Amino acid sequence: MKLYEYVIRRLITLIFVLFVVSFIVFYLARGFPSAISPWAPYIHPKMTTEQIEQVIKEHGFDKPLTEQYFYWIRDILRGDWGLTGTWANGRPANEVFFRHFPYTVELAIFGTIITIAIGIPLGIVSAIKNNRLPDHICRVIALAGYSTPSYWFGFILQLIFFFYFSLWGLPHLPSSGASDLEVTKITGIPILDGLLTGNLAFVQDEFLHLILPSFSLAFISLGFLARIVRASMLEVLRQDYIIMARSKGLKDRVVIYRHALKNALIPAVTLIGLFFASLLGGAMITEYVFSWPGVGQQALRAVMQGDSNFLLIYSFVFAIVVVSVNLVVDIIYAFLDPRIRYQ
Amino acid sequence: MQGQVGEVRKGELEARLADIKYMLHIFRKNALVMVGTAIALFFIVIALLANIIVDPKLAYPEGYPNNMYPFERKYMWNANHLIQWGTQVALYHGPEFFPLGTDGWGRDLFKMIILAIPVDLYNAAIITVTAAVFGTLLGAIAGYVGGKIDELIMRVTDVFFAFPSLVLALVFAAMFGRTLETLRLAIMLVWWPTYARLMRGQVLSEKEKLYVEALRALGVGHIRILLRHIIPNAIYPILVQATMDLGGVVLTFSALMFLGFSPSPALPELGNLAADGYAHVFDAPWVIIFPGLTMLVMSLAFNLVGDGLRDVLDPRLRR
Repeated sequence: MKLYEYVIRRLITLIFVLFVVSFIVFYLARGFPSAISPWAPYIHPKMTTEQIEQVIKEHGFDKPLTEQYFYWIRDILRGDWGLTGTWANGRPANEVFFRHFPYTVELAIFGTIITIAIGIPLGIVSAIKNNRLPDHICRVIALAGYSTPSYWFGFILQLIFFFYFSLWGLPHLPSSGASDLEVTKITGIPILDGLLTGNLAFVQDEFLHLILPSFSLAFISLGFLARIVRASMLEVLRQDYIIMARSKGLKDRVVIYRHALKNALIPAVTLIGLFFASLLGGAMITEYVFSWPGVGQQALRAVMQGDSNFLLIYSFVFAIVVVSVNLVVDIIYAFLDPRIRYQ
Repeated sequence: MQGQVGEVRKGELEARLADIKYMLHIFRKNALVMVGTAIALFFIVIALLANIIVDPKLAYPEGYPNNMYPFERKYMWNANHLIQWGTQVALYHGPEFFPLGTDGWGRDLFKMIILAIPVDLYNAAIITVTAAVFGTLLGAIAGYVGGKIDELIMRVTDVFFAFPSLVLALVFAAMFGRTLETLRLAIMLVWWPTYARLMRGQVLSEKEKLYVEALRALGVGHIRILLRHIIPNAIYPILVQATMDLGGVVLTFSALMFLGFSPSPALPELGNLAADGYAHVFDAPWVIIFPGLTMLVMSLAFNLVGDGLRDVLDPRLRR
């Protein structure tokens, strides 16, 4: 099968997935009694009863749920994603989402970078020193990573690096939120804007704000990565071509870094892709703990308020991200390993 | 004829026992895994005895006079304690000793943690077992039957993987009310697809083997082949996954509680106890630290056991 045929087939799957995801969220969010009626964001106290009825009719809220779903799809195709509840001042759901999304992207990129920077070396060391002390230490770090409650770890970091460091008069990191400094908007991603406009004070401040939350995210996922790298490295090191390389008299360092590593990293690519995708969905708990203004925290508020419009755009974008990241990962896969063919 | 079948069964049993003995032997050689097993067993014993060690009524205000907590010691730490947190915490000078301080209602945090362990373990176990059984059966059917049913089940799992699982669980819990049952169902709902995929892969490779062909030639029914022969031969990866998941499920369960989906704020549950300290991180850090630490150790123990099991059951990693 050709590459473009494969991509087209995957895009058709994407449409199917989007349809089902929206269907599920729509019924869960609209089908059950919730604190706010779905038309509440559209009305204000000054409206007359006729005007309110007009709004209800316009968006199909008086129809049965099965029909409401199609009204909702129609509104989306017109570019109207619906309004949010009072928690976001009743602004359009897509506006709220895309205002907070850049912060999540920023956090996801930093989290992924730290995961890779620590996870891969940890896995390599584990494999080389298989079943010796360094391997055991790496195993404990990795397992501790994915046994750590994320809500707890965030607070521990805040407690140490913000609270006690400032108590002891040491230089400390900011505990929560993003930078308050002003920056001119170009791309929307704050730290990138800071770099592009040369606003170094902002870049530094935002960077400091990012350290704790992104480390908190990375610590939880780097364990998985290290274990996968270890397992695939062990498998590669046992293959004939590695034995061949060794028997040629190549140094261990050359064998490992020039010959084994590239092949051992192939399974890691999938995992990194998955992490990045799930982080883009907003690490809800970490954002909540660090008051980070990303989409995950907004989604949590939307859930608490029973705000279906925001949840719908949120799960929509998330599904698109997951499916497209998977697609990109598959393409990279074939690039890294020419033996793999699309089927 | 009957006797022969009995002998075959006995032989099969012996073979499986020998297999398990060999695995136990490998298992014992790994010190780290043994530590994990010991800690996991310790937690299970605590969970079984918790309601005997600590009176469960202590957790709820109904156990006290006038249905109210009678304490004047909210977020307090013993003045004569070994650990001191700094000047920002409120110190308790009374006669009682609280090894881990008191929480927002003035309850003894140590006792609350002991009461919380069975709640967390019990719920995590139920969620994991139901998700594993459900996922395994669906995956086995998908792999064995193939065709349209396979396609359908796999597309459904696709949807679940392309979904923010925490959001689905949250929405589900928010919509159906905050009871333990909905929470369990919500987490189970996002957890089964992993097992379905895992089992499908196993069954796909297993059903091509010679013994399945032999069984078919003998005229054994499909359901019997699947339930009695294929699933038992393909179950090990599921067991490993389930052991490791127990650690993950307990984290998710307590995280949902932490985010505010607890049926009652007084419920002794590790995430719920930690949530109590959310606004008091700096003036009562122990309220978050100790429940979280308990959770970490418990989850780590199950992950160590699962990790060890995988090494034992996966011959490629044995060496």
